[in-house]
Amino acid sequence: MSPARRETAKRTRRGRAQRREAAPKRAGGQRSTAERHPIDRREPRASVPPRRKVDPRDRLRRVLFLVPYAVRHPGIPVRDLARRCACTEKELLADLDFLLGVGSPPFAPDDFLDLYVEGDRVYVALHQSFSRPPRFTESEAAALAAAVRALGGEGRERAVKALRDSVPRDRRASFDELVDRIYAGAPPAKDSVLGRLQRAIAEHRAVRLAHHSASRDAETERVVHPWTLAQRFGHWYLYGLDPSRGRPLAFRLDRVRECAITEETFEPPGEADLARARLFSDPEGDPVRIRVGAKAAAWAVSRPGIRLVKRSERGGAVVEVAGASAEWATRFALSLGGDAEVIAPAAARRHFAEAVRRTLARYA
Amino acid sequence: MQKDQRLLDLAALLLKAAEPVSWREIQEQFAHDYAGKGEAAIRKFERDKADLLELGIPVRWVAGDEDLPAGYLIDKDEFYLPDLKLPPEDLALLYVAGSAALANGSFPYIRDLAHALNKLSFAARAPGASEAAAVAARSLSADDRPDGGVAGRIEELSGAIAHKKRVHLAYHGAERRERTERAVDPYGLFQQGGAWYLVGWCHLRTAIRTFHVARIEALEVNASAPRTPDFAPRKDFSLADHATREPWEYAHHPPARCRVRLDPPLSAEVLASFGPRARVKEEGGGATIEVDATNSEGLLRHVLALGDRAEVLAPRALRERAREALAALARGLA
Repeated sequence: MSPARRETAKRTRRGRAQRREAAPKRAGGQRSTAERHPIDRREPRASVPPRRKVDPRDRLRRVLFLVPYAVRHPGIPVRDLARRCACTEKELLADLDFLLGVGSPPFAPDDFLDLYVEGDRVYVALHQSFSRPPRFTESEAAALAAAVRALGGEGRERAVKALRDSVPRDRRASFDELVDRIYAGAPPAKDSVLGRLQRAIAEHRAVRLAHHSASRDAETERVVHPWTLAQRFGHWYLYGLDPSRGRPLAFRLDRVRECAITEETFEPPGEADLARARLFSDPEGDPVRIRVGAKAAAWAVSRPGIRLVKRSERGGAVVEVAGASAEWATRFALSLGGDAEVIAPAAARRHFAEAVRRTLARYA
Repeated sequence: MQKDQRLLDLAALLLKAAEPVSWREIQEQFAHDYAGKGEAAIRKFERDKADLLELGIPVRWVAGDEDLPAGYLIDKDEFYLPDLKLPPEDLALLYVAGSAALANGSFPYIRDLAHALNKLSFAARAPGASEAAAVAARSLSADDRPDGGVAGRIEELSGAIAHKKRVHLAYHGAERRERTERAVDPYGLFQQGGAWYLVGWCHLRTAIRTFHVARIEALEVNASAPRTPDFAPRKDFSLADHATREPWEYAHHPPARCRVRLDPPLSAEVLASFGPRARVKEEGGGATIEVDATNSEGLLRHVLALGDRAEVLAPRALRERAREALAALARGLA
């Protein structure tokens, strides 16, 4: 901040402080924020769609993060802080305004939280002990612990213990109980593709993938900078940069046949890279259609990522999966124990028929 | 005064205080909030205390001694998120795991998870932090998640599990293919094959039952006395027993020893897919797997899905069942 601006900011704060001195001791919350808020109120930049039901605790959780974050990053742009707090700029300004009314008895000027916006940047003048966020709640820590256990890795029990220690002492018993109430899946097998990718992500090492491309229906080999993993519709995806194409892509792990960690290291992606890129591109290729019998229909329809096209007679159904390979469709249909068949597109049906023929030959 | 403001004021007061703050002093400072001498004021304060604890802020009452007066305080050590003191690879694991779970779209306590990832940036800087922060922000601001229905159910069930509140659900069963309504004491949630399942004590069947969350058609959590538990889970309950059961381990018939042949090359994923209790004998690059099945139909499906690189060897009846299923498919395709 330039000296002149700093001076202005100081004056603004002093002005507010004087008004506070004149204010009566708090009684029933009649402190007017309007007369002394330093927040530069502007028109919201974009209209926001109506949010779903708001949990009243959400604002408190947000501000308990917002204040220490702004303390740690003095002069953070309003827009960046709003993005970190997952709210709109308008909501953020409302939060800052709300925070000006927060303080501790006897509510002398220096007993209030003091934040101000100057030139679109947020500064915290008095943080009133909110300089770090509070400990993890038991559900925050338990959710993270469940995610860690599902992903596996050598350090997982160390990580779970560290999470437990970061919950207030009184709540650790609840954490222990809660962590045993969520099971997010078996960790990947040692030395599996997922296990290797996890290591590569942590070490920022490029990987060489042999991968089946659904759009080209061909096996491709490429070097990828692995950024992060995601699980969606029951499939694991690797999300990373393909340097030869110069853009990030999502790879479905069950289509990765080989994965080797290379010696090449890379710079981790910045927030902007990730914000620009969409985590999941739209599935490519024709959707695969599968006819399922009555017995398998209930199971098939409730699987994530499967869309019901139509119900047929006697309880059967036709379902559709977007972006599935012929190989995946065949495996899925066969996993329904003979009560399902791939019907379209033609290439996927041929793949299925071929697999049935070859497998049947084993039982001759 | 607004409740959220009162809670923060209270936290600020107790954080700043050099020694415990007496109830009388709190009452004086928050005259309009905790007015009166009766039980009502104390109950209101106790509710605020509980709310603060739910935000991760523990308010403690200490009995006085010759040095300190009796009163309430917040231990600074117990308040601030400590440094996790983990090596970088473990921190990277936390970030990767957390953001992968968020990207999943439906995960128990998903909002808490996003808050946790945000807070984590204070407890540790490590590779992966910025990716995780971006995913957390997106998840917290997402109004419509791809898996809307299931994600919403999981969020409600997570809350019911944490507070031990009974739920009432309308469920569409897969086997009987009918809709039933029942009261369930929710014990836990697990994920298998990308789908989420609720395990709990079913009052209709008076036994522990597993429910596919996507087939829960309506769900209502008992809203009365939200902080008072409706039940205590049975002592002998273990979620892992339910969650790690392979489909062929569901109790449908007496145990039968089954053998499966896998052709080379063997992948770690395929071997692991038979679970920790499978006995594996590797030979000639391939393997023979032996499992005890109590639902051999489940094993059959698993083996068929592996295609022509796997084959049921025994028992004879199961092998015959595999041949029949494939032959019927082949006839349909001809």
